[in-house]
Parts: sequence; structure tokens; C-alpha cells
Amino acid sequence: MTALLHRPLPTQDPFDTSAWAIGAPRLLAGLQHVERLDVSTHLATHGPLPGTDLAKLLAYLDGGGLAGRGGAGFPLATKLRTLADGPRQVIVNGTESEPASRKDRVLLRRTPHLVLDGALAVAAAIGARDVTVAVHDEQTAAAVRAAVSERPDARRLAVKIVPGGFVSGEARAVVRALRGGPARPPGRRTPPTVDGVLLANVETFAQLAILLRLGPHRFAETGTPAEAGTTLLTVGGAVGRPGVVEIPLGTPLGIVLAAAHSAEPQAIVVGGYHGSWIAPIAQIRLSRAGIASAGGTFGAGVLLVVDHATCALGELARVTGWLAGESARQCGPCVFGLPALAADVQALAMGNAGAVANAFAHARTVDGRGACAHPDGAARFVTSALHLLHDETDQHLRQGGCGRPTLGRLPIGATR
Amino acid sequence: MNLAIDRTRCDAHGLCHALLPGRIDVDEWGFPVLRDVIVPAGGQPAVRRAVAACPSLALYLTNPPPITR
Repeated sequence: MTALLHRPLPTQDPFDTSAWAIGAPRLLAGLQHVERLDVSTHLATHGPLPGTDLAKLLAYLDGGGLAGRGGAGFPLATKLRTLADGPRQVIVNGTESEPASRKDRVLLRRTPHLVLDGALAVAAAIGARDVTVAVHDEQTAAAVRAAVSERPDARRLAVKIVPGGFVSGEARAVVRALRGGPARPPGRRTPPTVDGVLLANVETFAQLAILLRLGPHRFAETGTPAEAGTTLLTVGGAVGRPGVVEIPLGTPLGIVLAAAHSAEPQAIVVGGYHGSWIAPIAQIRLSRAGIASAGGTFGAGVLLVVDHATCALGELARVTGWLAGESARQCGPCVFGLPALAADVQALAMGNAGAVANAFAHARTVDGRGACAHPDGAARFVTSALHLLHDETDQHLRQGGCGRPTLGRLPIGATR
Repeated sequence: MNLAIDRTRCDAHGLCHALLPGRIDVDEWGFPVLRDVIVPAGGQPAVRRAVAACPSLALYLTNPPPITR
């Protein structure tokens, strides 16, 4: 563990932009000295962005490998290759609707030029007429607008605030909202590339800006053989040092927990609230493959510690209830199924014997039956918890509880 | 061809289940559960009738198949 960045100075804005790194920071380079990299500090830190075209971009992506950092891990190269002809548009998805995630907003507020570099490079390579940065909040929008005003090459770049909650950050919901429609996923699963829209997550564009500067070989100097480079995590829950953390892909979980001053963990929630509960095994590698082999999903890099002081089933019930409330209320299985699932988990926490079977049945019922992956994600969140927490579940069934309070280690967003 | 449902349109009328009981079940709230989505090339008259009968225009045939489930 080296090069831990200092906590930034507190600002008026309540949003916590703390960030640190394990190993040499790439995306977060330069942030140990300043709260925000303006365009001259950005260039002094990272150097100028080399020119690029589509062939070079694809060659670099094939050499370095860049899975999307929005949660699904969809390869950027595949999006570029399947982009339809005709007018093209680049959308930077900065809506970051996962309540515990902060990495995208930290990038947009603290090192926005890295994100803009990546977006403008893609726009130039695919001949896109304009670039749009979509965000959910006014402060982040203001930070991006300030960055745009600092550079003459970003004149065609627009910053838009799209409304809505958890599911409004889904790619097709963002595209729909930007076109003046409701900020909800459409019913048919057509990817945005069919309309010539290249939409990717904020961190994906920032990683691309690093890849273009380093080239694929140096980009792969850190990370795992299959997953090159670094990744951002948002670490929270029962830790003394919450924040956005840049790690080499494949860093063991135990190292991140120690560096974050974690309490003794009971369980780890990885990948956010469409992610999974996993056992706190220190040797688990934090990469897509490493988390997958531990039975979890990496998602957008959220890592939350559930310690022994809190009631894990209470935490699960609280988040499941929140997930039910975040349904866009357009698909029947989600509208009826998620509240049923939340009620099952609540009953389970109260010691109801039939609730485990009901929860598994309702999770199976909703899985894969929505316009977006919200029901699938909620089902995965609950089933992974029930598989992990069987001792805890037994105790609740025998004694009606575990005697611990629910401390709210898993943050839930304000309903927007 | 694949049989698919636009979940944002479906209002659980249940006609698809009535017309295609082998392919489509319903859950406890009456919303369809697709059991067999693959329709042979050229389609089947029963499937086309069920698609045409859906009052919400939620049931549809798609080619190529949806990206995910």
C-alpha cells in the first residue's frame, strides 16, 4: 500500500469527494495536491492527449482491454464496432444513480478534463457531431460546465441534467430522457448503438484518456493479465476511511479493507444494490473475474462493509424496501414482485419461518422480467444475502431476531 | 423468430396464456412468464394469433432476438 492521497479540504457542498489510491494513482493522479485539476494542472500532470482515429482507438482497446465501468462491464470496443452509420453522438453517463457510488461524480468534480479528453477522443474517432454529459445534480453539472469553459476544443460539449432515481441512470433511460422523453427504460431492449449513440460511463472515458496516453503495453503494466489497469471503488459502510479508491485490478480485498480502516466485517456488499453479498475473505481478488469466482458481481465498484455491530438481515430488509420503491412502476413483475420480495425479507428478519422459501420464490419470479435489469439486480441482491447469511437467518427464525440494532451501514439515497 | 414481451405495455389481461398455455404461464399477479420463446422460421399460426390478440400490444415477435432475456 503506497501513495495514499490526502483527504481534501472540506467544502460547503456536503458531497464527500475524499479519494485515495493503493499503488500509483492513474485517474486520481495529481489530486494529492489540489481539490480540482484545472486544465493547466491537468496537462502538467497527464501531458497532452495524443491524436487518435478509430483504427488506432480499436487497436489500443484490443491491446489493453477496457470493460465499461458503469456496472455491466460491456466492452467499449464492441460498442464502437456495432455503432450504426449516420449521425453519431457521444453521451457520457454521469448519472451515477447507485446510492453508495461516488466515483463518477468525484471524477467529474475533481479531474473533469480526463473525462472530457476521453469523450472528445471518441467523438473525433467516430465523427460524432456533439458530446453530451448527462448528470443528476446541479453541483456536478456546474463542475463540468466550468471545465468546458476552460478548453476551446470542448465547444460542442453540452451538459444536461436528467431527472429521476435509480433506474433513470440505465443507459437507454438516459438516452430517452435526453431526447425529451420520460427518464425510464423503454420496453424493448434495443441498445443505443443502433441509433448511432455511443454511451459509456464517466470512468470508462477517463480510463480511455489514460490508455491513449500510455498505450496498451504500459496500460497493462498494472492489473491482472485478463483485466488491465486500475479501477475505481467507492468504499463505505463500517469503515473509518470511506471514499473513492483507485486500485490495481486484482488487488486482494483484505488490503483494501485494511487501508480503509474497516471494522471486523460480517459480510461485504459488492457491486452496489444490484450486486451481491459475499463472505469477507481477504484473498478475494478485486477484479471482474475475482469477484465472479467469489460468487459476486463487480458492478460499478461499490464495496460496503457490514460489520458485526449491525443486524445484517435488518440492513438487507432496509435496502430491499428501498429497491422496491425505486421501481419505475412500468412493468408488472417489478411493481408487484419487488414489494412482495421486500415483505418476505422483512418477515424473515422478524423470524417468520416461511419467509425464506417465499423470498427465493419471489426472487425467481421477478428475475429477467422487466424492461431493465432492476428486478434481476434486486433478486440477485436478496438471494446472495440469503445464501450468505444462513446462520443469521436461523438465529432470527429461532429467536425472532439477533438482538442487534440495524445501524444503516448500507446508505440509501433520498427518493428523487 | 423469438417471442418477446414489452413489459412496460403488459397489463396482465392473460389472453396470451389462454391462447398459448404451453408457451406462456402466468405468475401470481397474472403477468406472463415465457416458457418457450423460440418460434420456428415462418412462425406458427397460433403464435401469430396470440400476438395479434394481445390487447396491450405487448406481445411481439422479434428478429433478431433481444440482446438479453
